[in-house]
Amino acid sequence: MSDVRLQIKNVSKTFGITKAVQDVSFDVMKGEVHALIGENGSGKSTLTNMLTGIYTIGGGTFILDGKEVRPKNQVEANNEGISIIVQELGTLSGLTVAENIFLGHEDMFVKAGVKNTNAMNRKATELLEQYGFGRIKAAAMIDDYNFEDRKLIEIVKATYFNPKVVVIDETTTALSQEGREVLYKHMNRIRSEGNTVIFISHDLPEVLAKSDSITVLRDGVYIDTVKSAEVTEDDLKKLMVGREVSGAYYRADYDEEVSDEVVLSVKGVTVPGQIKDVSFELHKGEILGFGGLSESGMHEVGKAIFGASFDRQGEVRLADGTEINDIPTAIKSSIAYTSKNRDTESVVMNQGIGDNICLPSLDSLLNGFKLLTKKKMREFSNKYAEEMSVKMVNVDQFVSDLSGGNKQKVVLARWIGRDADILVLDSPTRGIDIKVKQDIYQLMDRMRKSGKSIIMISEELMELIGMCDRIIIMKDGEISGELSRSRDMDENSLIAKMV
Amino acid sequence: MNSNTTAQTDKKLTGQTKGYLILVLLVIGSWAIFKIVTPGNFGSPANMLSYFQASLLAAVGAMGFYFVMVMGMFDFSIGANIMLSAIVGCVCASRFGLGYFGLIVGSILCGATVGLLNGFFYVKLRIPSMIVTTGLALIYESVANFFAGGSSQVLPTELRAFGQMPMNIILAAAAFVAAYFLLNYTKIGTYTYAIGSNEFVAKNMGINVNKYKVLAFILSGAFLGTMAVLTISYSSSMLAVTGMASMSRNFVPTMGCFFGMAFKKYGMPLQSIIFGEFVINIIFFGFIALGAPTAIQDVITGLALLIIITLTTRVDKGEIVK
Repeated sequence: MSDVRLQIKNVSKTFGITKAVQDVSFDVMKGEVHALIGENGSGKSTLTNMLTGIYTIGGGTFILDGKEVRPKNQVEANNEGISIIVQELGTLSGLTVAENIFLGHEDMFVKAGVKNTNAMNRKATELLEQYGFGRIKAAAMIDDYNFEDRKLIEIVKATYFNPKVVVIDETTTALSQEGREVLYKHMNRIRSEGNTVIFISHDLPEVLAKSDSITVLRDGVYIDTVKSAEVTEDDLKKLMVGREVSGAYYRADYDEEVSDEVVLSVKGVTVPGQIKDVSFELHKGEILGFGGLSESGMHEVGKAIFGASFDRQGEVRLADGTEINDIPTAIKSSIAYTSKNRDTESVVMNQGIGDNICLPSLDSLLNGFKLLTKKKMREFSNKYAEEMSVKMVNVDQFVSDLSGGNKQKVVLARWIGRDADILVLDSPTRGIDIKVKQDIYQLMDRMRKSGKSIIMISEELMELIGMCDRIIIMKDGEISGELSRSRDMDENSLIAKMV
Repeated sequence: MNSNTTAQTDKKLTGQTKGYLILVLLVIGSWAIFKIVTPGNFGSPANMLSYFQASLLAAVGAMGFYFVMVMGMFDFSIGANIMLSAIVGCVCASRFGLGYFGLIVGSILCGATVGLLNGFFYVKLRIPSMIVTTGLALIYESVANFFAGGSSQVLPTELRAFGQMPMNIILAAAAFVAAYFLLNYTKIGTYTYAIGSNEFVAKNMGINVNKYKVLAFILSGAFLGTMAVLTISYSSSMLAVTGMASMSRNFVPTMGCFFGMAFKKYGMPLQSIIFGEFVINIIFFGFIALGAPTAIQDVITGLALLIIITLTTRVDKGEIVK
């Protein structure tokens, strides 16, 4: 019997003039974790979305255990033995946990048209306990659970029926370390049962540690499949980008003095249920990092500074005495903010790139008659889109068509266009490939050198260590420690203050 | 990771209790205000029972409309549907001599057919449901006028059992049980909420979204047909109006449906529709007892409903309301 589980043969997909996947062919074996990597826009998600019925197959074939599969939706894919855990939230509000787990498969509990809710809840409870998530109640509304718990529920939903292939699409970035460990445990279980995991991630150390083999895509084209044990991180970077990625990934300096000039001071900021008595100062030309577990409150700090928190107490004040209590004041005072939730809180998905870039700068784009002209807006957005090297057809292209990394570039282009002096960047490299990450790090470094101040909130400890002058660690909504930039700093020194 | 997890079954029960408490307080509050202002001719137990019976009419229609509204669609042809269904039911019952069978089956079938047409045109034309149903309402009004021959259709006295106790309550209770059953014990209920939550994901889960949207309109139509039975039995006749005059009948079921949407998070949408319609009727009859001019009644009723929905709808901070 063949060890090949899935054959991907000459698969292609186009969106308008964009060739998202071009004639891709490779095999995935039984009982392996097969990583799929590539820059943003390389076609990874498009390929797996075709396999799992989210997109129709443009061309070519998927052959699972010798039989061609061509699912029209996720349920058909499930019936073929294929499932997916998507990057963003994949559960539906307004339904219970059990209804979400069995959505599309209710027929198991329907007799003569009547749904046996009790039986469905019992089965879901049994599964949740089996997965070690017994505290999640099957009959409770899914809305009662936080993002991470809902991801755990998705793991149950995608794997309870013992599928032959499980696609995990960039899920780990949404999880805390504890959540990741749970996911890894189930990946190992699936592999040990002889089934296959297709694992998409931008975190190369994670890819090397957790996968058996790795397929690299670039610009929708298959590049290579390698054994994880036989390659290094640098080898993967080279395959992904198509050239050597220079060593200057993070900042190289360690001895530069940060200015004494305070540009922003935060005193006793409390957001009920989120953060408590947070105080710190941000200096001119400084990159100040905020680290911690996902629910530590660090993400709320960014919102609080930008005036986007509700019921905030305490004081956020600029050097000139301006108090920041709301978003319009923050923007007028040259503060920029990029949210962790890029798709829902940062970009306007069904608007053009140009409109997105111009959005906070419309006042400065008005002509003498206080009217906006297409020409001026186009010139403005073109300039900053090009400065950020956004991969696009033109600025009229909808943001929804862009990859995650390019969306982030649009968000940054927006604030560069506004020439913000203080940037609050929450998870700026979340779900972004190595090349765009490097671009963003270099941009941050240039901004720092030109006197801009940056607050970088991140769950990626290495990028905090690599980029920040100071790192504040949050735990249970409070500051639990602070570390200054040094060559000796490592992940363990941060983790010690996080947990 | 788990510190923010708050879901507990007992919390849901607490939420339901809270929901009932708010609704009961609304009933008592609205009763108390009018009872104080006009103690003599308002709000006796017998009066309250009669207000409640009147509220059942719209509550039945609102329970059906809830399926459409939860999915994020709207229906401006509610009034036209009630009018047409009542006339068809009346014609079947009296002119065709089919009695109660004709009244019930004729009205409900007509309502469901109107729903089917609404759903079909909405899905096929791919234009907003508000526009589709507004256009179709004009057609339904004309059809009703044609059926009625331009005159008011009177339901014979011997066929008006559903206009009084106990039959009106039995029919409304049957409608409630049917709606509750559909929402909680069939795939239709699950898919209604799934489509309302995220149509794209629902489609990816293999749900035939268009089919369930049409089904929602059909169900809504059937419940409106049932409302038509109660309406013509209660008021004894129905006049076919044209020029969108039937829209005035949209208001009460729609407001009841808003109550359902507002209390969905307490896990009791259908119950809150019944309470909501009761409150609306208490206010309505309260104004009649006061002898307030119609214009004033409308202004105060509108404002009162806005206040009630605002106070009872718990919108989380930062939540976007459209």
